[in-house]
Parts: sequence; C-alpha cells; structure tokens
Amino acid sequence: MIRRATLTILLGVATAFAQDIPDRPEKLQFAPIKFETPRARDYKVKLTNGIPAFVAQNGKEGTPLVRVTVSWRGGSYLDPKDKEGLAGLFGSQLTQGGTAKLEAAKLEDRLESLAATLTSSCTDTSCSVSLQVLDKDLAEGLDLLRQALTQPAFAQERLDLAKRQGRQRIGRRNDEVTSIANYQMKHLLFGDKHFASADDTRDSLEAITRDDLLAFHARLLHPANLFVAASGRFDRKAMVDALNRTVGTIKAGPVARVSPSVPAPDFPRTPGIYVTDKDAPQAMVRWAFPGIRRTDPDWHAAFVTNQILGGRGFTSRLMKKIRSDEGLTYGVYSTLEPGTYWRGDVTGSMQTKNRSVAYAMRLALEEIRKLKEQPVSDDELRVNKDGIIEAFPSQWATKQAVANRFSDEAREGWPEDWWASYREKIQAVTAADVQRMARKLSDTDRMVILAVGKASEIEAGDTDHPGALEDVAPLPLKRVPLRDPATLEPMP
Amino acid sequence: MILTRGLALAAALVAAAPAIAQDVPAVERTLANGMRLVMVERHEQPTIAFAWLARVGSANERPGMTGMAHLFEHMMFKGTKTIGTRDARRDAELNGQQDEVQVRIREEMSVLREKQRRGEIADMMDPKARTPRLQEALDEFDRLVKEQRELIVKDEMDKIYTQAGGTGLNASTSEDRTNYIVSLPSNKLELWFWLESDRLANPVFREFYSERDVILEERRQTLESRPSGVVDEAFNAMTWIASPYHWEVIGWSSDISQVTREQANQFFATYYAPNNITAILVGDFSADAAYALAEKYFGRIPANPKGVPEVITLEPRQPAEQRMVAEVETLPSLQVVWKTAAAVHNDAPALQALAGILGGTPMFMGRPGGPGGMRPPSGRLHKALVLDQKVATNASASFSGMKMGGTFGFRVTPTPGKSPGELEPVLYAEIDKVVKDGVTDEELQRFKNATLVGLYGRLETNTGIRETLTQFLTVGTVQDFKDSLARTQAVTREDVQRVARQYLVKEGRNVLLTSRKEGKR
Repeated sequence: MIRRATLTILLGVATAFAQDIPDRPEKLQFAPIKFETPRARDYKVKLTNGIPAFVAQNGKEGTPLVRVTVSWRGGSYLDPKDKEGLAGLFGSQLTQGGTAKLEAAKLEDRLESLAATLTSSCTDTSCSVSLQVLDKDLAEGLDLLRQALTQPAFAQERLDLAKRQGRQRIGRRNDEVTSIANYQMKHLLFGDKHFASADDTRDSLEAITRDDLLAFHARLLHPANLFVAASGRFDRKAMVDALNRTVGTIKAGPVARVSPSVPAPDFPRTPGIYVTDKDAPQAMVRWAFPGIRRTDPDWHAAFVTNQILGGRGFTSRLMKKIRSDEGLTYGVYSTLEPGTYWRGDVTGSMQTKNRSVAYAMRLALEEIRKLKEQPVSDDELRVNKDGIIEAFPSQWATKQAVANRFSDEAREGWPEDWWASYREKIQAVTAADVQRMARKLSDTDRMVILAVGKASEIEAGDTDHPGALEDVAPLPLKRVPLRDPATLEPMP
Repeated sequence: MILTRGLALAAALVAAAPAIAQDVPAVERTLANGMRLVMVERHEQPTIAFAWLARVGSANERPGMTGMAHLFEHMMFKGTKTIGTRDARRDAELNGQQDEVQVRIREEMSVLREKQRRGEIADMMDPKARTPRLQEALDEFDRLVKEQRELIVKDEMDKIYTQAGGTGLNASTSEDRTNYIVSLPSNKLELWFWLESDRLANPVFREFYSERDVILEERRQTLESRPSGVVDEAFNAMTWIASPYHWEVIGWSSDISQVTREQANQFFATYYAPNNITAILVGDFSADAAYALAEKYFGRIPANPKGVPEVITLEPRQPAEQRMVAEVETLPSLQVVWKTAAAVHNDAPALQALAGILGGTPMFMGRPGGPGGMRPPSGRLHKALVLDQKVATNASASFSGMKMGGTFGFRVTPTPGKSPGELEPVLYAEIDKVVKDGVTDEELQRFKNATLVGLYGRLETNTGIRETLTQFLTVGTVQDFKDSLARTQAVTREDVQRVARQYLVKEGRNVLLTSRKEGKR
C-alpha cells in the first residue's frame, strides 16, 4: 500500500516539526498565488441580432447544470405615475403567467418534469429571466425561456394572485422597524417624486392591468436592451448556436424602444436627525452621506476608506468600537453604494436598544471624525488593502459569477477592462488618500440620520451614558410620522 | 395506477447520473486524539473552504444556562494567549479581577431577582432598579474593562484572516452543533491550522461579560424585533415538551445575562476537546499535506478522556393536540407542526418526499433536515389552496430533521378575507388524501429528480460541498452523505403514504393560529 507508506513518512516529518510551531502566525511563509484577472472579451460573443452574450463553460469539476440569464435595461424607473409596481408585477409574471403556446400550469408542468427552474424579476433599473436546466435538456429549456421572453401570456388569474400577494406585502410595511426605515430613508434622501422612493400603493397596484403588462413587455423587448449570461456544462460553440437560434432571433417590434437612461434624483435633501415612533424593543438606525460615482478616479480610495470605517465587518472601526468594545449592537455597517447611475451615498446602519441609539450614534460619529483628523496607520491600511487584493480571486470562484458579472456590467454600461487594473489601483491607495476621502465622504453638515423605534426612549438617551439624541450632531431634530402602508402618505 | 404521459417524461435522472455524492472524493481520517478530518480535494480554483464543528449545541444545555453554546461561539473569536492581547499576564490578572467583581454583581442581582419575585420591582434589568452596591460594582467593572481594553488587540483573528484574503469568517450555532468557517486562498493552508488550533489549545475568553450584551442585542434583533418572534419562540417551547429543543438556540434572556466564566470554562473542557470535533476542508490542497499539518497543529491538543455526555432526555409521545392562538403585528397565518423523526432515521427520506410532494420541492435541497428556501411553485398545497380554491396566498410544507428528533410542518397564509381557522380543515383534507389514496409515481419521481438537481446545485462550489458535509456530519457520518441519494431514490409510494398515516395524527398536532394585532405606534 503505497498510500500508507507515504502517510507514515509524512507522519514522521510532522512529529519532527511538532515543536516547531512558530509563536506568531506572521512567521509562516506562503508561496505566492498567480491569478489572472478574467477578461470580459474572452467570454463575450455577439449574437446575430447584436445582443452581447457572456458564455463561460465549466471545467471538469462542474455538475451537469446549465444556467442562462437574459437581462434588460428597464425596471421600475419606467413605472408610469399611478401605476407604481408595474415593473415588479411584470418581473414576476413573465414566468408565472404562461406563454402564448403553454398556459401557466402547463409551463410549470414541463419545467417540473425536467427538474428545471425558470424565474424572473425586476429591480429599479433592470429585469431578468433565469433558466436552470440539466445539460441534456438545454434545447427544451432554452425554448421555454424564449417563449417566456418573447410571448408571455400574463394569465389574468395569476396576475390576480400576484396582486393579492402584493396587497399583503403592502400591508406589512409598518410591521418591522427595518421595513419602516427602508421607506422613510428613501423619502428623506430622494423626496416623493423620484422613482427611488416610488413604491407601489394599494391603488397603484389595483390600477395595473394585463394590458399594461403586455404594453410594458412590447416596449422593452428590443435587442438593444438585452444581455445574456450563460454558464455551466456545455460545448461553447453549441451554446452560442443555441442562443442564436433563440435569443438571437429576437427583433424589435413596432412599439419596442431602447430604454431611456436612468434619471438622477434632484431632490434638495434636508440634513437632520429624524425619528419615527414605533413601539419596538430595538431601534433601527440608518444614516447617509453623499457619496461618489464609480467612474470617479477616487473610487478605489473611497472603497478602501469605507472598508476601514465600516465595510469589512470585525476588521472595521465601527464594529470594533460599537459592538466589540461597547456591546451595543449585533452589527454595524457602512456601505459605499456603487454610484452606477448617479452619485450614490455612503450609508450606515445598526440596530440597538432604543435607549442606546444616542450613545451608539455618538460613537459612530466619533469614529468618522477620527478618520478625518488622523491619518490611518500603515498597518491598518495594509491589512485592508491586502485583504481586498488577496481575496480578489474568490470573487470569480464560479463560472456563473464570471458570466453574470460581465453581463451585468455590460448592461450598466461599465468599461470592460475595469477589473484589469483593479488590484494595482487598490495597492496605490495611500494614508493621505484615505484621509482625503474621509473628509470628502463624511460631511456631517450634509448628513441624514434616521432612527425608527420608541421615540421617547430614543430621544432621551441612556442614563449610563449622558447625552440625548439632539446632542449627537449639530443638526435639527425632527419627528417624521409613519406612513399609511396602503397609500404611503404620512399619517396624522 | 394509470401511467400518465408525464410519467414517461419525468424519467429517473439518477440512472443518467449515478451516485453523485460518491463522486465527491471525501477522505476521512482521524488523529490520535480523536479529532476527525473530512477532506475533499478540488483543484480548479486557488481557494479552500474550511470548517470545524464541535458536536455541541443548545440541546446540550439545561435551564439556567440556556444560550451557553451560542455564547461560546462568540467567545471563540475573543483570542488566545497569543492572539488578541499585548500583555497576556496583565490580561489574565484583569480577567480574574473582573470575575471577582462579577461575583458581587451576581449577589446584587439575586437581591433584585427576589424583589422582582415579590413584585417590588417590575424588571430587574431596568437601570432604575439598581441598588447602590450594584451601581458601585458596575462602575468598578467598567474601570477594569477600560483598563483591559488598552491591552486588547481588537478582533485580531479577524484582522489576520482579512489580511490573508480570508472571506466568510463566521460561526453558527444550532441545536446540535457549533460550526466555525472561513475560506482562504489555497496558499494559506497552514495559517488556518495555526489559528484554529491555537484557539482550541489556548483560548482566553476576553470581553466575556460585555459579549453577553452583544448577544442580548442579537436576541432583540433576530428574535424579539420580528413581529412573530416571541410567539414563534413560545410555539416551539409548546411543541417540544421534554426535549432540550424546547428552548431557542439563543437562550432565554434571563440566562444569557447571568452566565459566568466558570460555567464557560467547564463547558469548554467538556465539549471542545478534539474527540468531539470534526474538521472539513474542501478545495485546492493535498489531503496528505493537510493531514500532516493536522497532526502537527491539532495533534498537540489532549483528548477529553471522559468523553462527551449524551443527551438523555427523549421527547415523550405527545398525548394530546396542543393549540396556541396569538395576535401578532403581521399577516395572519396557520402553522401545524408534528414531531416526527431524526435526520438519519429510516423514515426521514419518506418524510422529506412527503414534504416535497405536498409543499413543493425547494430548489436547493438534498440535505437532511433542510427546510429549503426558494418559492415552491409545484406542491399539491399550492395547487389546491392557492391556485384552485384561492383560499391562501402561500402554502408550504417542510420536514426538518435534527439529531435527536425532527418536525414536519405546514405554513399557510390565508388570502385576504379568510381566517387561519377556516384553512385548518382544508389543510387536513389534503393530508387525508395522501393517507387514503397515497401519492402518484409521477409526483414521487419528480421529487426525486428535483432532489438530485438540488444536490448538484449544492455540490458546485467548495463552500456548497462544505455546507452539505456539515449538515450530514452534524447528525450522522460521511457514509450518511454518500448514501443519501440512494436512500431518497429508494423511497416508495407506500413509504410516503405510511409516514403520512403514522406521523400526521390528530393527537400529535401542534397548531398555531395567528391573527393581526393592530399596530401600537
């Protein structure tokens, strides 16, 4: 038994080394790993009608699954006024309402008999249909996907069910501090007119008809709006041929339109500390500072800065201070929004018991102030930069991730070579850059803070830690009422 | 049985793809101290997914120290004699002094507990109820914590892993196990052995007392802040009468805030010995090299010669239906739960099939006890209650197998205008159909095919394989993982009908009816 012999030798070696465990992990030596950044152009194919497809086939360790996602430019930013929720319903009904050839129950029956799934959804700015199917059934799976994509039936009965479910979802809006904070923050940051805060209401949902879904579909189905990601077990050429026979045959119909660009908000937000009263054992705290576009040359420095502040879990300052030191929260996070279509925000969030809100927020602002006033140490900067660079290969761990990322970024109009220099640009960020970004991205005078919970306790603060909420920052303190979940109008 | 057209279409996939679980080349080895390693080599990506699990969870607790297993999960990130402090000696002294002050704090808490028992105060945790001596002790404790904080290298383990390119550093506690995970670039194999063996060989439970506050916030966030959170907790406690599954993994608030370091030390010595631990490595490494490193690093930790005490209490057969009627600030719903069989029980695959056929097969399945997460569009209940009768907007079923037992449950959301009570007989009628007429070959075959595809989905990535192995090793063995697909494929229509008849009986029901409580502002 050769294997056993090898084992014995190794054991002998291990015993000899048993006393040689270094006293610190930094003394371990690691061989370098070479990782080539995947390039979009190696996966990209133009289908016959011009739709870009990103095709990534599995290696030998993959399973016999194939996944194909077709996505669009278009989403709830195209919802007409008083029909808010249209894109959301369209997204779910594209695959739940049957097709011209197969009624809904028959389509589901076919999928079940193939052990395949076909799902769809829309976000604010995109829609997608996704197929997962065994490689042997790819042809039929793609045909079902094509049918849903090009000839959805939007069966009335399924639409009615989705509306009933939608009404129930709307009715839950004020049940939890987290969902209340979501809509309040959107209204504080974007006002009542921009699509970012235009959620569906009971009336807008009711007003949406099957004809609206058909019209929305006819308008969106233009090859210039579409993008494809395919991954899994297949022969690349066979996959491209199959895509050309299906998605590649789509032509723009008479009313199809290239989706317009996504409008940026122009709401003049009012900095302040806002409180919404809700009887709950724990408050939800959110905040936002104006951020930057991802196209900004400072993006990489901003990203590293946010990691240091609150984007990297326990290695970040906010978590160390507010969770580990003070035990005030289960988690506190800061996020640099991607800023894809307009300058995003640097947002923060945490949940803490009502009376701890003022103290925890004070600590958060203190950490932000320190990052502005004192340069970050070489060690802290290196830990965060190395972390981003060393973990880079794990972002591309599956072919599905590779294909979807390139397809999503193409849809968002992103430069294809953006990742090629990513690690070098992260490596180039200096302590001075971080301090500059901290100053740029945390202008306390332009900050919006929101706390949702028991207002009287939140505003009073904690007897163990003097300081009321109004003392947290030199900003006006204001109560904002809950909104009626059905109408989203502020409640008296 | 009439063969439908569909039957021919839903062919048995397993013939085309035999025994996928056996294709996962899991190598199992055991160190001299009893620690087990399960290793899967995959070389296409330069990463490794790591886990080690201790076979201890909330089921190993008892009243008064509920939540201990989970508290431990937090404490294991607080460092060691080397990691996490600038001065190990002074750090240890301060821990000792903190423990002494905590003795005084506990004495005062006893006074308050007695006052609360007599109704003299409403809440012993309210700062206003503190005695002067308690306030003094708390202040002194704060001073000691502040002094210690100067010596602490905050969350140093996280920092080291982060710098090394680690992702997904985390841990989780269930009823039956505590699991510690991270993924690393493959050149950092030895770093994992260094750090993980260090925290088992030389742990220091720093920030012990303040971490209890974090956990109370975690409890508020993950349980109490959910509109149905405390009702769900009470419903679970009603369902499990004698079993330690009676309490939630996070524990009762009263216990979390009073746990002592002494209790923690004892707990660690009993349950965190290598003979109660299994490591799982999946990814780009050589199993021989990893085994040698395991000997070098984990091999230095002594076994617990006494072994781990078994969980003795068995859930008695439920003698009568139990009902709970609650008002919660969310959608009305109906839940019915039966206690059934453990995850590795011979009946588990048939119960899983019953759940899949009634509730729809979630997209990611194939693990024992997994309730699945995706929308099940295809179950009998969805077709009958949601699409045909339109009395519900959602209807699901799940089998949840744990180590010592399991549950089978239904959850139905009534359509607007219908009450949960009205749906109860409709739900039972669907169960009766299975009891009387069984299920079809087509339904069973579709369940088996969906299970296989679900398993493919889970075995595509290093982390997916790690999670799947973790699920099986929590309740059983590597062999259980390898046999799982064959056991699912072996389920017959008669098995499904029998388990429905045997387990879903009237006296075994636990029913939760919730209606909406209007918001309190």
